Amino acid sequence: MQAIRTWLNERGYLEVSTPTLSPDLIPEPTIQNFSTRLISEFLGEREFYLIPSPEIHMKKIIGEIRRSIYQFSRCFRNSEQVGSLHNPEFTMLEYYTVDCDDESSIAITEELIGTTALPGCPKELLPPFKRMTVNEACSTYGNFDLDHLQDIGKLREKARSLGFPIEDHTESWEATFNRLFLNLVEPRLPQACPLVLCDYPMQIECLAKRKAGTFYRRRWELYAKGVEIANCYDEETDVQVIKDYYRRHYAMLASQRAPLHQVIPDVDEHFADYFGSSYPQSSGVALGFDRLLMLELGLDNLGGVILFPLSDIIL
Amino acid sequence: MIKAGQIDKGTALLIKGQPFICVEREFVNPGKGSAFVRLKLKSPSTGQTLRETMKTQDNAEDITVEDRDCQYLYNDGEMFHFMLTETFEQIEIPMTSFPDYQYIMKDGETYRVTFWEHSPLDIQVPAKVIFTVAEAEEAIKGDTVTGATKMVTTETGLTVRVPIFIKQGEKILVNTETKEYLERVNK
Repeated sequence: MQAIRTWLNERGYLEVSTPTLSPDLIPEPTIQNFSTRLISEFLGEREFYLIPSPEIHMKKIIGEIRRSIYQFSRCFRNSEQVGSLHNPEFTMLEYYTVDCDDESSIAITEELIGTTALPGCPKELLPPFKRMTVNEACSTYGNFDLDHLQDIGKLREKARSLGFPIEDHTESWEATFNRLFLNLVEPRLPQACPLVLCDYPMQIECLAKRKAGTFYRRRWELYAKGVEIANCYDEETDVQVIKDYYRRHYAMLASQRAPLHQVIPDVDEHFADYFGSSYPQSSGVALGFDRLLMLELGLDNLGGVILFPLSDIIL
Repeated sequence: MIKAGQIDKGTALLIKGQPFICVEREFVNPGKGSAFVRLKLKSPSTGQTLRETMKTQDNAEDITVEDRDCQYLYNDGEMFHFMLTETFEQIEIPMTSFPDYQYIMKDGETYRVTFWEHSPLDIQVPAKVIFTVAEAEEAIKGDTVTGATKMVTTETGLTVRVPIFIKQGEKILVNTETKEYLERVNK
């Protein structure tokens, strides 16, 4: 951790420390949240949430100070399987580089991991990183080409021909894509060196910019020894796009969770207003620090790097 | 029918007419995507393994199974021989279906065996088992490096990496899934 701090400090990144308790979160229907209650004798009670990532605060800071920042923060994700690769409370290293895009972030991450790796780190974790687009991976390992499967009917037909009958006719493009990706592609991804899988399908909605003239987004994920360890966006700054994302994803999240009585976090309706023409171009990387450490030590279980892992308590 | 998200380790499923037992289950949320469950299924009769990744909302055909107490008698190199404690009936289970169980199960001990339509599907071994150290190398004098370990063999033939202070005849608690030493048992 100290080596990473030194590396980032020397390159002009400012270390920040933002709250773990937040009155609102970015709506992300696929991440379940922890909620807790703030009780004040004078101000009454209010629901607060444990952050699943420090993104919400760090993006506000970038808009204010317009420089590259990072932090190690405790993050919380509920309803994930407690076990070798997941602990509901974990440490994330998140670094945002201004005037930088997703491409340049690959080189930054490559140098960061290469320079700060622990002695004896397995070579499968060290540079050079192999780069591949999601569609190249799908074509190579899954025998399907996303460029020609943008229509949901065609994607379902392809899924059927590959042995995955889709029974639910309301299944989204994203879900059918992930069904094929997880079954046919991910298990075959090369593991001899770190792999950057870039250009994710635009249908997987997130706050990463669209890649103009393509069906993809400026987003990549880093896999090492088959484990996802980092996720990067070329950060969306268009106010209207962010507003639309908030509106649609909050509606989706609320409709999915209300019948199941799951936590529906509040959202800040004015979050999009932090962006706009003066907001700097930036690229953010969220790196699972515990997973990185686990792999650098040649381990296959987070229990080797997290003290008092939840798996020891509840399993 | 059950939802794929409800499948747990030990759940018995019928796939293309053949019974399978779930031996590993992992929930996966592909980056910003819907919830999936990754399953490793094993056919107890053939030893064949299947890997399936399903949406948690997908349907799967589960089968009703029955657990019965069986005393483990011995193995003959090909088959595990058990006796049903209720009826004294003897049954055989191919060792290839549970390749490492010969080093975990103890002769004469009773285990829960899962049956489907009178055929044994699964042997349930406890997650943690106390073994006696049958063979252990002597600690080398002067070897005081913190965290030093050595290999020992249990009475069942399981080899386990243990801290250097463990001696022959001592009892140790072992995780039967990872085969890792957990602690010395002082009783």
